[in-house]
Amino acid sequence: MIGSRLKTLVALAGVVAGLGLVAPCPLAGAGPSKHFILANGLQVFLYEKHDLPLLHVVTGFDVGSKDESDATSGLVHLLEHCILFRGTAARSGAQVGADIRRHGAYFNGSTGQDLSAFEISLPAEYADFALRNQKEILFGLELGQEEIDREKEIILEEYSQMEDDPERSAADLVLQALFPGHPYGRSVYGRREVIETATAAGLAAFHRRYFVADNCAIAVVGDFETGDMERRVREIFGPLARTGFERPDFPMATPLKKSSSRRLERDVREGYLLIGFAAPDYNHSDQYGMNVLVEALGRGINPLLTGFLYGQRDSVQNVSMTYLAFRFGGAAIVSIKADPKDLAAVERAAVSFLKRAHSASFSRKDFAGLEAEMAAFDYLEMAKNQIRFATGRAEESGLHLAGSLVRYMLLNTRPDPGRYLDAIARVDSGDLRKVASRYLARSEYAAVSVVPKPPRSR
Amino acid sequence: MRGPAVRLLVLALASLVAAAGGSGRAAGPKGPWVNPPERFILGTGIPCIYQKDTASPTTVVGLFIAGGKSAVPAGLDGLAAMSTRLLLEIPDEGKVRDLMAQATRLSYSCHEDGSIVLIECLTEHLEEALRVASKIIQQPLISGLRVGRAKELMTANWKTEDDDAIAAARSAALRAFFGGRGYGSALFGTEESLKAIDRKDILAFVRRFVVKPNVFFCVVTDLERDAVRRLLEAAFDSLADGEAAALPPQEPALPETRDINLEKDTKQTYIGRAYALPRRGLADMARGTLLESLLGKGPGSRLWALRGEERLAYSVDADLTWTKAAGILVAYLETGRAKAAEAAKALERTLEELGRDGIGEEEMTAARTMARARFLRAAEAKTPRLRTLGLFETLGHGPDGAAGLLEEIEAVTSSDLSEYIRATLAPGRALSLTVGPAGTGRSPGGPSCPD
Repeated sequence: MIGSRLKTLVALAGVVAGLGLVAPCPLAGAGPSKHFILANGLQVFLYEKHDLPLLHVVTGFDVGSKDESDATSGLVHLLEHCILFRGTAARSGAQVGADIRRHGAYFNGSTGQDLSAFEISLPAEYADFALRNQKEILFGLELGQEEIDREKEIILEEYSQMEDDPERSAADLVLQALFPGHPYGRSVYGRREVIETATAAGLAAFHRRYFVADNCAIAVVGDFETGDMERRVREIFGPLARTGFERPDFPMATPLKKSSSRRLERDVREGYLLIGFAAPDYNHSDQYGMNVLVEALGRGINPLLTGFLYGQRDSVQNVSMTYLAFRFGGAAIVSIKADPKDLAAVERAAVSFLKRAHSASFSRKDFAGLEAEMAAFDYLEMAKNQIRFATGRAEESGLHLAGSLVRYMLLNTRPDPGRYLDAIARVDSGDLRKVASRYLARSEYAAVSVVPKPPRSR
Repeated sequence: MRGPAVRLLVLALASLVAAAGGSGRAAGPKGPWVNPPERFILGTGIPCIYQKDTASPTTVVGLFIAGGKSAVPAGLDGLAAMSTRLLLEIPDEGKVRDLMAQATRLSYSCHEDGSIVLIECLTEHLEEALRVASKIIQQPLISGLRVGRAKELMTANWKTEDDDAIAAARSAALRAFFGGRGYGSALFGTEESLKAIDRKDILAFVRRFVVKPNVFFCVVTDLERDAVRRLLEAAFDSLADGEAAALPPQEPALPETRDINLEKDTKQTYIGRAYALPRRGLADMARGTLLESLLGKGPGSRLWALRGEERLAYSVDADLTWTKAAGILVAYLETGRAKAAEAAKALERTLEELGRDGIGEEEMTAARTMARARFLRAAEAKTPRLRTLGLFETLGHGPDGAAGLLEEIEAVTSSDLSEYIRATLAPGRALSLTVGPAGTGRSPGGPSCPD
């Protein structure tokens, strides 16, 4: 083992939840935990949670669509599928599946812009199986062309499913449009032609490079005793070799130079609109302000943007806002459902409002006079309380927590970021205006709407 | 403003109800929790299911209202959901301000046998959240203007449901098994039914069901029981007495037309087979839950082979909805147009083989383990657990229902389950569901579901 930088890590910081959403790390008040790094470079976080006899293990690697090129776009996603479902040198994919079932496990993976993550959640009595299974599938992958070809067919079905889903397809396109020329500008789903022509040799090369101990972090959350779990983790993952892996560096995403609006026609009945703005990256000090701003504008009861749009168009029925913090950039995304015929007007209204958000009054203290102060909605307080609530909620789900810890271990570059909720508590109304000015007022945006196909072309 | 954010949870309550049991911790009559749920009667006469959970400083309170889709009169589809939605209209800015600042969440969902109003908050704000929410709920503002807006929301909701093949197919299955009435009515209504509903219908629905004999609370919190009791009694002190609603169980029946096709110009085709399951008590629920876990829920399941081995689909699963009268099980996959016919045939073959051959000991053990683990995962966070506890109370099994289900699951043998599967999946009991381009999803050689 190498370090034991934590206990302090436990008291730490804003970590990031699944799908890149910035979420608070809820580790403030709970059970024993430990962070350590094995001699081979693998980072480990153990966190005891004893309310149910469950164990959650998330294993992450610093490899995502950012690490692909046009010629390899989609390979990380394909690799994720092969790792999960296509077996190892010791077991076939069907055997892995049968073992997963025998142990009552939830078993899944995800590919993002920055990271790939692999999850297993099962009764705590099967801890040993969970750790050994994950080690074998992640580090013992054996790829045959026939198995890869089988998985390609399934990936292409997933691709079609994504294209049928108005919100997923719009989100994918908004993110591509927000980062032109940057590695984040490639779809995490990849290109069909790359997937169709992928070879075992090409995938194996990708796997050999990135799926190594010194590019990996494991979080184990659940019903265990830390000392015992540390012994198991060291015994199982300790023998993996250190490879000297060096993480490639990428440029920070630059602001979008020109706004874009794209309209897709699908066989849908409702209208769907997503609008994206560039936002701070995972380690940027503006992340706290952006977290609070997103809550104030587009989450909870009657946030600012929602209230404004409801007042503009009766057909607006659903408005929400999300902040995605990546390692080399970020995105603030507004999602709206409305009558398709109103979408263009709703887009104009939403963008106009967001560009003026830097002059909004977020707190009662922004108003002069006691009466005005008492009458005003306190969006700042609301947003902070929503984040505290979300923090509490995150404490309840072990898998969510483990995913957040893995993201933190792999994405954080700050030596001492401090407690996330402390940083949130310090955000004031002026910070929100500053962030709104920097990322919304002065920035271009990317919008994608999905509307019903005209009847004749259905 | 339009009122609170409303989270519409169309998915079946029952998907949360798998089975559980011990795994190091006692799985006895009190189930897997450190603090088992308990039931008591408030001073107001309203039952309360309470569970203490200190995992987070948050509280979730559910007001469970009887009726739901089962109480919707013919032609007034959407009435239960719309009435519940209107309970959450916030009448004045002062109350909006209070709820906003505390970050209290108010939401609703409507299901087959009832509706749920959820109040979620930081526990430190519970007293204030209950004070404001109870006023809104006990003195709902159901004006013509607000009814009009609620209809717009319902319209948007059914359109969104239509855009989701899995949700649309599930609704179609319920509609078919229950003849388009009650459980089979459209959750968010139809263009016609929404036109037909007027303010008087909503007021009558609220006056009938939002009364003491037809509601109960479910609370999962880090607060002590006595504090919860005191807060609920103080806040909900003016619900009307009313009369207990008598809602006879609605039995499912296979319709004459067993081939339901919802045409959509999509790349993927949804192909499903739906079955009605008996529900006479926890023993039936245990068998149904095991069958659901056997068919779907990830690698190693029967349906997974259609993905992993036969490469016929990305998405395969089984979902089960429990009502007071029955369960509705849907086994499904989603596949591309070119593979749809082959996939439909493979789905039928899988179900027929399981129905014909039953299962062996090894698969039985795995299904039991999977069902137990699924229950634990579904019960980990407070809100989904509250829904599960509420479902058991709604179905008449009380706070020990979950633990009882675990015991029943442990008691099911492979021969019991094989017999149950043979009866359940017998040819002629299936409803065929297809959502996708015209002509796809039919297995070659004839009708999907022979009599």
